[in-house]
Amino acid sequence: MSTYKVLEIKQSVFENNDRQANLLREELKKNKTFLLNLMSSPGSGKTTTVLRTIEALKDEMRIGILEADIDSVVDADIVAQTGTKVIQLHTGGMCHLDADMTRQGLSGMGTDGLDFVILENVGNLVCPAEFDTGASKNAMILSVPEGDDKPLKYPLMFSIVDVLLINKMDAIGIFNFNLEAVKERVKKINPNIKIIPITATTGEGIDRWADWLRTEVKKWNGK
Amino acid sequence: MHELGVVIEVIKTVEDFAKKNGVTKIDTLVLQIGELSSMIPKYVEACYPAAVDGTLLQETKLKIEIMPGNAICKNCNKVFNLIENNNRCPRCGSQDREILSGKEFMIKEIIAC
Repeated sequence: MSTYKVLEIKQSVFENNDRQANLLREELKKNKTFLLNLMSSPGSGKTTTVLRTIEALKDEMRIGILEADIDSVVDADIVAQTGTKVIQLHTGGMCHLDADMTRQGLSGMGTDGLDFVILENVGNLVCPAEFDTGASKNAMILSVPEGDDKPLKYPLMFSIVDVLLINKMDAIGIFNFNLEAVKERVKKINPNIKIIPITATTGEGIDRWADWLRTEVKKWNGK
Repeated sequence: MHELGVVIEVIKTVEDFAKKNGVTKIDTLVLQIGELSSMIPKYVEACYPAAVDGTLLQETKLKIEIMPGNAICKNCNKVFNLIENNNRCPRCGSQDREILSGKEFMIKEIIAC
């Protein structure tokens, strides 16, 4: 007869990832590389926003892009055409990136000399919110066609980001989207969030977004 | 999909723990899942056999303890269950509250033989 023994573990499942993420964040800080984790639903305009961001900031800082998708190199191809350093990560079916995958991506790309790296996370409003990637700041895009009820449906995502871009503002007349209601709903769960309405295709609002980034990158890199 | 990735992470953590503590056979793994966490116990159970396949935990039973989603009302200090009361204090009706429990997803313990 075997004797049974209870061993207490008492460990949060996310603890391991949190530890990895903090470690990565410290290293990035030391290397003066600002990492932005950009999250949103599929089709909200992440890649177009990334392209606009590169355009706005490429003359003043060295930028790298990590494209994370379940499959394909579509996004990396588009970004590579701008001449920016880019690497495509495949999550192999996983719905999010964790700190370890982010580290692999960063070391694959080589972050030496890069001031600013954008991690374009997998299009998903659920799982990426739960996994700290080690990013300096977190941002998300909500696009007008998705609807103004999303902060009510996916509160966790809206509660963990530092900045919210509301994209496709040019379509606001076509969709029943109440910008003030979104702001109110989001501020309720995340009082310190910065909200910037943009239209990535036309470039409207990108200057405010670029200003925010410029300030944060400088703060992080101590320049 | 979501649960599977997380459960695989759990299995890795437990295997590490077992190695460090010289455990070679685990009878039961006990997890604690909060009512307010995004992990659904039913799906965790469903993907568990796939996640443990070929690991030290292949024969290990899974037990899940549900932690209640409780909050304290900031207006009248009543402690109440968020799900049963639709996120509203049953005493004063306020929605201003602080969550006390229910978001956790913990590896509580293993029963080793």
